[in-house]
Amino acid sequence: MPLNIIVCIKQVIDPEIPASQFKIDPGTKRQVQGSHSLVISAYDQNALEVAIQLKEKQGGKVTAISVGAATAATALKSALSMGADEAILVDDPAIAASDQQGIAYVLAKATQKVGTFDLVLTGCVSGDWGDRAVPAFMAEELGIGCVSFVSRIEAKDGQVVLRRVVEDGYELIEAKTPVLASVISDDTNTPRYPKLKDIMAAGKKTIPTWKAADLVLDPDRVGSGAARVAITDVYLPLKESKCEMIKGDTPQEQAANLAARLRELKLI
Amino acid sequence: MTPSREIYWNIPGHIFLYILFFPFLIVFLYGMYRQVRRLLMGQPAGVLDHFWDRLRGFVEHAVLQRRIARDAVSGLLHLSMSWGFAALFIATCLVALQDYFGIPTLYGNFYLYFMSLTVDLFGLAAVAGVGIALVRRYGAKPDRLLKPRLADNYGVLLALFLVILVTGFLIEGLRIAATADPWGHWSPGGWLASLPFVGFGEAQHATLHRLLWWFHAIVAFAFVAYLPYSISLHMLAAPANILLRNRERSGVLQPIDLEKAERFGASTIGQYTWKHLLDLEACTECGRCQQVCPAWTTGKPLTPKGVIIDLRDHLRLVAEGGDSRKMVGDVISHDVLWACTTCGACHQECPVFIEPIPKIVEMRRHLVMEEAEFPETMQQALRSLEERGHPFRGTSATRTDWAKGLGVKTVAGNGRPDILYWVGCAAAFDERNQKVAVSLAKLMQRAGVNFSILGEEERCTGDPARRIGNEYLFQILAGENITTLNRYGIKKIVTSCPHCYNTIKNEYPKLGGSYEIVHHTEMLADLTRQGRLRPERRMDGVASFHDPCYLGRHNGVYDSPRRLLGAIPGLQVKEMGRCRERGFCCGAGGGLMWFEEKIGKRVSWERTEEALALQPQVLASACPFCLIMFEDALKVKGANETTRPLDLAEVIAQSVEGSD
Ligand code: SF4
Ligand code: SF4
Repeated sequence: MPLNIIVCIKQVIDPEIPASQFKIDPGTKRQVQGSHSLVISAYDQNALEVAIQLKEKQGGKVTAISVGAATAATALKSALSMGADEAILVDDPAIAASDQQGIAYVLAKATQKVGTFDLVLTGCVSGDWGDRAVPAFMAEELGIGCVSFVSRIEAKDGQVVLRRVVEDGYELIEAKTPVLASVISDDTNTPRYPKLKDIMAAGKKTIPTWKAADLVLDPDRVGSGAARVAITDVYLPLKESKCEMIKGDTPQEQAANLAARLRELKLI
Repeated sequence: MTPSREIYWNIPGHIFLYILFFPFLIVFLYGMYRQVRRLLMGQPAGVLDHFWDRLRGFVEHAVLQRRIARDAVSGLLHLSMSWGFAALFIATCLVALQDYFGIPTLYGNFYLYFMSLTVDLFGLAAVAGVGIALVRRYGAKPDRLLKPRLADNYGVLLALFLVILVTGFLIEGLRIAATADPWGHWSPGGWLASLPFVGFGEAQHATLHRLLWWFHAIVAFAFVAYLPYSISLHMLAAPANILLRNRERSGVLQPIDLEKAERFGASTIGQYTWKHLLDLEACTECGRCQQVCPAWTTGKPLTPKGVIIDLRDHLRLVAEGGDSRKMVGDVISHDVLWACTTCGACHQECPVFIEPIPKIVEMRRHLVMEEAEFPETMQQALRSLEERGHPFRGTSATRTDWAKGLGVKTVAGNGRPDILYWVGCAAAFDERNQKVAVSLAKLMQRAGVNFSILGEEERCTGDPARRIGNEYLFQILAGENITTLNRYGIKKIVTSCPHCYNTIKNEYPKLGGSYEIVHHTEMLADLTRQGRLRPERRMDGVASFHDPCYLGRHNGVYDSPRRLLGAIPGLQVKEMGRCRERGFCCGAGGGLMWFEEKIGKRVSWERTEEALALQPQVLASACPFCLIMFEDALKVKGANETTRPLDLAEVIAQSVEGSD
């Protein structure tokens, strides 16, 4: 059975930069991009890979959607070069400061605007904030089931079988479509390296940008005003180190004092 | 009486020779036609530039056969055969000269000294050559001839040679015996052959002579006809290949015009240029390339000779109407393609200038850019190059961390320096190599060199991307770097990475970036000679220098590193058996730094063992990749306490008082 698959991708600041390079803007309470590159959040790439593999086997169509700034178009281009058939950018200042629920609402509206869909895939956790909230909220918005931490999906007898990774193994879940799954990596869904002709073809495609008006959004549900979660503070964990000299005249005495001090600190 | 002999003695019908030759000639020409048609399956290539230099190389390598003579026995046997036959052929032509144009080549001193004595000696040399060849090929059976498979038919060729030579001498001997030639002993070979016939009667002499004469002629013609259909073809294709050889350095890969290209790399044999196809036809199957190949010698399936003869056989099948196998994957397996370190040893060794590297890289290009099918670890390195401009995924450093506290300036903050220090990704992001950058920076500061770095504006030169086969990514990275360098008006560069050195020096000019670039060993050698650096502190012990492929073989820098080591008081320098032009790869080139060697022995272990046999305290190199490989291998071998792998900059820094 052909599957129409929506994959939600997010563009984030390269999460692999050295820790020393991680800076936060105290005003916006967001990470400063500086000279770092923007990449597709890692698990979103696994989601894309799962979608493309399914399409190759079953037929159908993969549409990538990203809510973000104009720069997210490059993330969508790389989704196209990997094998997505279409890509849509949702970019509007009115939705920029939405919280997780707001974003889930926007994504759901965009998904509905695309038309019929059998599967909605997202990464299981984003590479920046990492609060794993959007997939569940989005399923709620769409009124469909949600399976989290899925590594493989197979289509079978008009249903899909999802392999959900749990702590000590996996569960196989059969679900009727449409269904939403958040994807985790395993060795079957390593994102593919795109072929050059696909990169070039993706470069030539235009990516439509949808505005709030295109999605007929309820203005009370998006933007900072609608946010039910507020970030009060973001900071880098402080690493402090102190040095204390252990006294003692002989090595034995020093060792005894060291042991006593460690016990005092409840370290041994 | 003037020394002479009767032309065509005892052969009244010699004019029929030409009629007899005709069918053989047809067969020969048809073979050559097929050969040319095979070459024309290839893409166009321009090869006729720099004619005089090509001719010089032709004389050096096709006539004087310098490369063949690097192996004494093969050199001797090949020179005796080829020159022997050449002399005999010339003599035959000279006889024709007398016959048709009346130029008396068979008279007087010329007859005695050249036509008899010299030519005969050459003929005897050819016999000796055939003899040695037979003993070596069927007695000694060296690996390089037999493996990976025996595809040639040298046996037939040698047999033909032997028959032609022996019958030639017998004919001469019969004539000498029959005519009681007073100058017979001037032809030592013929004279010897005449001895058994002295007692024969006149009629016997005449019949035997005539029979053998025609037989000799027919075998010689058969050889001509057979030539284009056998390994003998190398007698024509190899000299042609030497004349038309690629004159660029072996480390250079050719750019693809990405705007216009309809395909990227080669997936079928006809996608190579005709010059590459000529390479295949010119191969003599001598196996010299295989003998020095780090992949082959450590048990990988790759042998450059194997690649060449497999492609050649495939080419011939395709030309004959079909080979159902895919070139990439079936004819040449992926394991073969991903085993090449692009070390260039095969290029250096090949007596007829065949180039396996571009053949391999073209197939890699196809796999990477068209199929996106290549080792996962390499994919990650390329992704990192795309996303971060360097291949060291997961590094905890930034490009300038190593320089903290050293007062090293960036070009952006320093205006124009006298020289730009191109740090390279390895020295910036790899912890071990950061120390090399620090040593070099301090040495330059000490010597008063006005340098700066690009800092965050530097990108990978693109060397790994290009050699792995992603030409597209290479051109993006190279383009960014060239734009940056040109924007700052950089003229002079020093680098501590031979890969960056090779790319900037030899590959950037074609993309619009021409700079004067030196390797840090060249710079340090100059500074030491000028007395601006004085390595005066004694270092007792043994040091050995490992030639990085991209510094030595690909760019010819052998002496500066040795001069540096030699300048250090107390240090005893010992060479490994495989050094300089014959240096053995560390295993990391050609993008294999990002490849897990699973088949056979690790190349780096092989090299490290060779070094350890000298029991050195210092294993010196001048390349960040070699250093990473040796650090690792010495640890595995448990020798990292006694033998320290160091970059030459670090060695010099230790010997220059107060520089650390
Ligand atoms: S370049 Fe080096 S590794 Fe590659 S085939 Fe030639 S000798 Fe072998
Ligand atoms: S490629 Fe060159 S060195 Fe290798 S077998 Fe052929 S002729 Fe010999």
